[in-house]
Order: sequence, then structure tokens, then C-alpha cells
Amino acid sequence: MVSAKADSVSVTVYRQPDRAKGAIDPKWPGGYALINETRIIDLPKGDSVVRFEGVAEGLMPETAILSGMPQGVREKNRDARLLSPAGLVDAYLKRSVTLRRTDRKTGKVSEQDAIISAGPMGGVIVQTAQGYEALGCSGLPERMLYPRVPTDLSPRPTLSVIATSARSARVTLQLTYLAEGFDWAANYVADMQDDGRHLDLMAWLTVANGGVTGFADARLSVIAGQPNKQGRKVQPRSTGGPLQLRCWPMDITSTHPQWALFPIDMPQTEAMMDSAQEIVVTSMRAPAPMMAALPPPPPPPPPPPPPEDVGDLKLYRVPMTVDVAARGQKQVALLRQPEVLVERLYAATIDYRDGNGRSRPMTLRLRLQNRKADGLGLAMPSGRVALFETIDGQRLLAGETDIGDKAEGERVDYDIAQSSDVRILALIGGQSAKARRWTLTLTNARPFDATAEILIPHDIAPRPTQMERRGNSWVWRATIPANGEISYSYDQKLR
Amino acid sequence: MTTVRLLTGLALLLPAAAFAQTAAVDPTGATAQGDVAVTIYNGGPSLVQDDRQLSVNAGRNRIEFPDVSARIRPETVNLSGPGFSIVEQNFDFDLLSPDKLMDKAVGQEVTLVRTNPATGAETRERAKILAANGGIVMQIGSRIEVLRDDGLPVRVIFDRVPPNLRARPTLSVTIEAARGGTVPARLSYLTPNLGWTADYVALFDAAKGAMDMQGWVTLTNNTGTSFTNAKTILVAGNPANGGGRHNWWQSPGTGGSGAIDQAGTESGPRERLGDYYLYPLADRTTIANAQQKQVSFLDVKGAPARATYEYLNSWMGSSTEPVSASSVLKFSTSKQGGLGDQLPAGTIRVYMRDARGDPQFIGENSIDHTPMGSSMALRTGEAFDVKVRPTVEQRTKKGSQRWETRMRYTLTNARPEAVTVDLAQQGLWGDTRVTAQSLEGKRVSADRMEWSVPVPANGSVDLSVTFDSRY
Repeated sequence: MVSAKADSVSVTVYRQPDRAKGAIDPKWPGGYALINETRIIDLPKGDSVVRFEGVAEGLMPETAILSGMPQGVREKNRDARLLSPAGLVDAYLKRSVTLRRTDRKTGKVSEQDAIISAGPMGGVIVQTAQGYEALGCSGLPERMLYPRVPTDLSPRPTLSVIATSARSARVTLQLTYLAEGFDWAANYVADMQDDGRHLDLMAWLTVANGGVTGFADARLSVIAGQPNKQGRKVQPRSTGGPLQLRCWPMDITSTHPQWALFPIDMPQTEAMMDSAQEIVVTSMRAPAPMMAALPPPPPPPPPPPPPEDVGDLKLYRVPMTVDVAARGQKQVALLRQPEVLVERLYAATIDYRDGNGRSRPMTLRLRLQNRKADGLGLAMPSGRVALFETIDGQRLLAGETDIGDKAEGERVDYDIAQSSDVRILALIGGQSAKARRWTLTLTNARPFDATAEILIPHDIAPRPTQMERRGNSWVWRATIPANGEISYSYDQKLR
Repeated sequence: MTTVRLLTGLALLLPAAAFAQTAAVDPTGATAQGDVAVTIYNGGPSLVQDDRQLSVNAGRNRIEFPDVSARIRPETVNLSGPGFSIVEQNFDFDLLSPDKLMDKAVGQEVTLVRTNPATGAETRERAKILAANGGIVMQIGSRIEVLRDDGLPVRVIFDRVPPNLRARPTLSVTIEAARGGTVPARLSYLTPNLGWTADYVALFDAAKGAMDMQGWVTLTNNTGTSFTNAKTILVAGNPANGGGRHNWWQSPGTGGSGAIDQAGTESGPRERLGDYYLYPLADRTTIANAQQKQVSFLDVKGAPARATYEYLNSWMGSSTEPVSASSVLKFSTSKQGGLGDQLPAGTIRVYMRDARGDPQFIGENSIDHTPMGSSMALRTGEAFDVKVRPTVEQRTKKGSQRWETRMRYTLTNARPEAVTVDLAQQGLWGDTRVTAQSLEGKRVSADRMEWSVPVPANGSVDLSVTFDSRY
């Protein structure tokens, strides 16, 4: 008996385990999904085989759990013997089929009984009353007719169970399984407010389904965090596929073996001319009046609910049921946090490049503290951040960066761009066997004060008391006055 | 007319029976296997025993065994039965295909059936195949021709197929029988591509501190042959690798998942084969080709389990960003307060219920063959909310080969309840001593030190340790 489709379904998508950043592979997304289907079937009395159709293409059969069978499940099977031209020959090997030939001129049809004596690999040989013949080698239109579909061939890899029931009953089944070919990503859009101290943060949740099965009206959620996922074991390869009728060598007197003549070298000039004629269209900035003609944007939908804990992972629930279409991507709002306090600072780390007397630009860093007081305070999954600033009514992209998973209470740094106006110059003033004298000079060509944060991975002597220790480095924080400079000298202990 | 139609209908069915004498396999579709018993080792070759009834004549007989595994290891074939002895065994895997058929027909005569494209009239003639190099050169009477040189349709009908060419790899055995009649015979052989693993489903309830565990055997058959109605025994273990001697890259001690904290010392009621455990399936089952089959073997409800956190700093280094601690599920396979069974190697998938009560997957890991009574620590993933940031506060040179390192570990917990993190510092090379620590730790080995650090809800805790290393 066949269960054709799910009556209701929920889909939880997990990220590709090693893809911390970067785009989803649209062809076959590398993550996976937990799919929970409710199916209602009429179970007859006694033993019965229930086949589940319309499950996800990337179903991992070893993960399938079925609950709701009155007497439990005796065994679960995934069959990969497919109904296909080659699969039919394989199933009818040494069995009787009908060979039908049609005369091209008269349309006369002649039928003959035959036994398939070899196939499907390397061609098909049939045995007739006259002798043995190879199928498709005579040049005549000929085909095989099979009396019926073999019962153990299925249209696609199918999950089936053998269940026992004491009486016939209508049962509600829960089928839960993991399936490959799904992925999700978080894409943050941060709009800098005019005061330069607050961000409007929102995030898109992008969910991709690479399989051929779609899920209509699904309860969709995604899991952030890093659950452990093992590599897959070898799965039985599906049998079947196209039937390739290969014959004996078919060269005749007028055909030439391919190796006899060398190919003629064709001049490449024409092809080059073609590519030179490509037309390049570049974009133009639309004039300002047209921008003003746009209608006001509709009010934003309510912000999605905060994530809930599932073990040590975070579950983000899409508040309404959605369609997870086959071979498609879908975007819904993941979070919306207006008025997030942000600190703008310039960062640099002293490394091997420094000490030669050349100044280098510092990195513009936006720092958020993931806490309630600053307008955040929620688990933020890793993803790409695009920062926009509005200049003269134009919304411009200021920079893009990737961040990792950030729990509540953590520091979130967006390294946006290199600033050529705020620079660092490190000089080695003198050196002895025991110590090296460093002087760091920060310059600011901007008309505003700038906060700087320099990581110094040196053993500073005497040991600083006011500086923060981060990793192997000391953190020197300072404010560079507008159009001014500031410097700091210290001894690096060498021994 | 009815009679005629009936007769043609019969004619469609009859030839099957008529050809049955010539075809090697019964065309009615039944398998040629007898009473099959399959013993499947996980990760190794499997043993197939096939009890068939052979009809033999007195003296020498050549018997073909169709429907054996296409991946049979012919050197392991053993045929035994009363009243006969084996002369020779052959395993032929030269497959029958149109080009092989033509190649073997060189020097022999075939029948050509030519169809007149204008009238559809057929003419027959006999031809001798002279060569099959690139194209087919043949002799018809006194003339030499190339097959289908004019592009017109020609059917080539071969009188016979060469005896060595098979549709499937076939085992044939020549036996010497004392007398004719039907004798029972047992065919046994080893075949790869038939294996099994265990898959576990654990539904963990953090509030109750309990989990439900189901174990499934996953059988995979890639042999190219179906085993019909087979008595199946699964063996947890692989006897084919020389008694468990491993190379360094597959060493079971350091490889695997390291999920066994403490190996158990209890025995269960399961059947054993030497040091391996046997899992016989209750019913006979059909293991179809290209099939993955799952059979339940373990179902435990409400076994105690708890979630903890682990963090390992593998050398005395530091990190600028906080690093997630591992989420660890701890449970026991003991009879008292545990699953009460030994676990064959496989994958444990852990699920938890979300706020709506739907199970959600929270991670998986593999386990090795686990004796009963073991305490287990399964690393299911990285914790989102529990993180550790190690910092080297100060590294001071005390002498020519002596260093003092002051470490600070900042443990943060964004969860609404207090947690305990098992923090380990590894890489204590040389003579490394702990001169000061803010929390009493445990030196588990010369190389490793461990602390159980309680972290309050939505809070953070610093652990400071000073190491004195002499190299």
C-alpha cells in the first residue's frame, strides 16, 4: 500500500557543517534538514508493506524514524532498484519478452517471442526460435514489449516499511528523517543612522532546497550553532538508468577511422572578432527626482520571535507556514533590531610589517555589544553583514564583512574598510640585547575625533596595569584628536 | 475467432516453457537459491550458506549455480554434500555482449536476414564471418562483403552463444557423484559488499535527565544479487582484519570518536561468537539488491543521561575570540542506571524536543564497539551559548630551561541556568607543575590537567592557573 503524500509537514534546516561563510551552493546545497511528516493511512489487518512517496530527494534512510504504527515496524527498507530501460532488461534477464518489428515501408508489424539472454551492460542479446540476435544492430525498427512492471522496481528510491496490525485501522503516522540538499544562511543588513552611533539591524533568513520535492504549507525553522555531523556511509547505488545498446564494430568501407586524418587547424581570428563586438552596459546613477517619486514603503511586518533553545543550539521559527519549493531559495525576516548602539573605532595589530617607518591605514571597525542595554541581546547566527550609510538621500553600500556565531553578551566586531585617513606608524627607536624601543604614532586626517584600538603582541616592560589583555596581546585604546596625532612609546622585552 | 485469439494468447505464454530447456534459469521468475542463511559481519565480508537440491547423474557432472553473489570470492567457495566429491570449480565472469558475441563468431557461419526496403520482403543467406576489426568482413558464397556497407537493414542471427560467455558472473562446479538422483548440497562462500552498521536514535529530555534510545541495524546489499527469504545473523565485529590488528591510520584506540570514558566490565545475555556478539534476526527476511534495510534491535526508555560541556585547550596558547565549548551527552551502558546492553559500532543521533514538543536534531557522533557497563561521553556539537576564552596573562623566563606561564580562562554562559564546564589543559610538556590555581583541578596525566568549573546563569567566571615548566 502507498502513502502518496504528507498531510502536514515541518522542516528544520541545518547549515552546511563547514560553511562558516560564503554563499550557498545553489546546485546541491551542502546542509541538511530534519523533516517531520504527518501521514494518515488506512492499515489493513495483518502484515502489510507501506511505501512512502513524496519524501525529500536527499532522504538519508538510516535516519528515518516512524512512530504511530499500532504494533510497531518489523523492518524498514530503502530500495534503489529503479524502473528504467536498463532496469527492465535487468529484471527480465533470462525471461520471456515480445520482440516487435515494424516495416518502415508497409507499416506491417511482426511480433516474435524472445528471451533476453544478456544485458543490460554492453548491449542486449535476445534468443529467438531462429537463434541469437543483438538488439538494435540490424538497422530495423525493433523494440521489446514487457508483459508487466516487475513488482520490485520503483519509480525512484523509495522508503518502505513492513508493519503488522491486529485489525484494519486508520492510523496517523509520524515520519521523521534527515535529508540532504538543504541549507540556510543569515544575511544581515545594517543601516547606519545619521547620528553615526546607531544601527538599524535586520537579517534575512535564506533557505535553499536543492531537491525535487517541495513542501507546501510547511512549518519552517532553522537551527543555528554547530551540531556534529558525521560523514555518510556508502549507500547502495541505484540500479538502472538509460539502456545503451552497443553493437559490434560498425565501420564500413566508406567510413574512415578517426585517427587517419589530422584535424585541420582553423584560424582563430573570427572568434576573436566576435568577442570584441560584445556590448557592455554599465549602470547609471538614477537622478535624484526619480528617487523622490517612489511611494513610501509599507510598514514593516512585526519582528520575528526570538530564538528558542534546543539543547545547546538555537531554533529560529518562521512565524507562519510557508511553501518550501523544490529547487528554490526563499527569504524571510530572521530578526529586526532598530536602534542598536554602535561604537566606531579604528583598529590595527602590530605585526611583522611594522617597525620599518612606513605608515599604513587602519581598519574601520564597528563594534556592537550584544546586550539588551545596547538594543541587542540575542543569539546572532553567523552570516554576512552589509552596511549601508545614507549620504544626500542616497543609500550607499559602505562595506561588507562576515561574522561568526555570537551569543548574548559577546562583542561583535564588523571590520568594514581600510581608512586611508587614519593611519598608524610604528618606529623602532633603539634596540639592545634585552629590549627594543617602540614608538607608535596614530594620525587622523578626519575632522572628527577617532577612537583607536591597537593590539600589541609584545611583552611590554614594565608590565602595564591599565591595559586590557586579549589573547596574547595588550590592547592600547586611545582617542586621536580631530586632524591631530597621538603617540605611545614602550619597551618590548626581548629576553 | 475466439479459439484463434485464445491460441495466440497461449502462444505468447507458451514459448517461455518451450525455451526453458535451453535457458539456464527458470524463466518463471523464481530464484535458483535454496534455503539461504546469511551471516553478515559489519565492515567485513559476509558468509552466505545456500542449501540446494542438486539432481545429478552417476559419474561426472558439471553444475552451474546461478543467483550467487556477483561479488563472490571464488577461492572461498565450499560445496559439500553426501555422495559426491568436487573435481573442479570455475568462476566465469566473461560477460556476454554483442561485440563479444561477434568477436567469438569469427570463422563461423551466421544467418543474415535482409529486408527489402521497398517491399519488405525478407531474404535469408548464410555468411561466414572473416574478421571483426572496426567493421565486420564476411564471406557469402564466393564473395566478400562488409556488413551493412550499403546501410540497408540486415539482421544477423547467431546459431549459438559461446559457452564461456555469461549474462552474469556464474559459478560452475564439476563433481563426481557416486550415483544419480537428487542430493542435498550446501554451498557456502564469502562475499564483500554486504555489510551492516548500527544506527541509534536518542531522544534526550534535559529536564528529566533521561533519554529514550532506539537501535537499528542498517543492512546494505551491493552484491548485485538478492538473497530471498534468508535466515540472517549479524555479527558485531570484523574477523577478516587479522584479529583487530590495525595500522596507525586506522588505530581504534586513538581514532574513532573517543566516546567511551570508561570501558565497561559487564556481560549481557546476547549470543557470542568468540569475542564477537551475535544479533540474529527473529524472522527470515529478503535482502534485495541495492537495498538498505533496517531492523530494530534495541529499545530502551528513560535511561538516565545528562548534558555537560567540555573544553580542551590543546597547548598553552590563547585566543582573541571566545571559542565554543563542546556539548557532551553523558550516559551509561550499564544494567543499573543505563541502557543495559552492549552497543555495536555505529552512529548515535541525538534529538531534543523544542518548545512545541517536536523533536529536533541536535547532533550526532559515532561510537566504537562498546561493552556493557561503559560510561559514555558523546560529543554532539558546539555550544552556542557556552564559550571559553583562554588568555596567556604572562610568560616569564625563570631560568635557562624554565618558564612560568600565567593562564586565565574566561568562561561565559549566556544560558538562563548555571552550567558546569569540564575544562582541560593539555600540552604540559616536560616537568610542568601547577604553582597556583583559583580552583582545585585534577592532574589526570602528566600531559593533562582538568578542572570542573561552575559558571552561573548569564554570567562569566575566570579561572587563573600558573604553570611552572622545566624542560
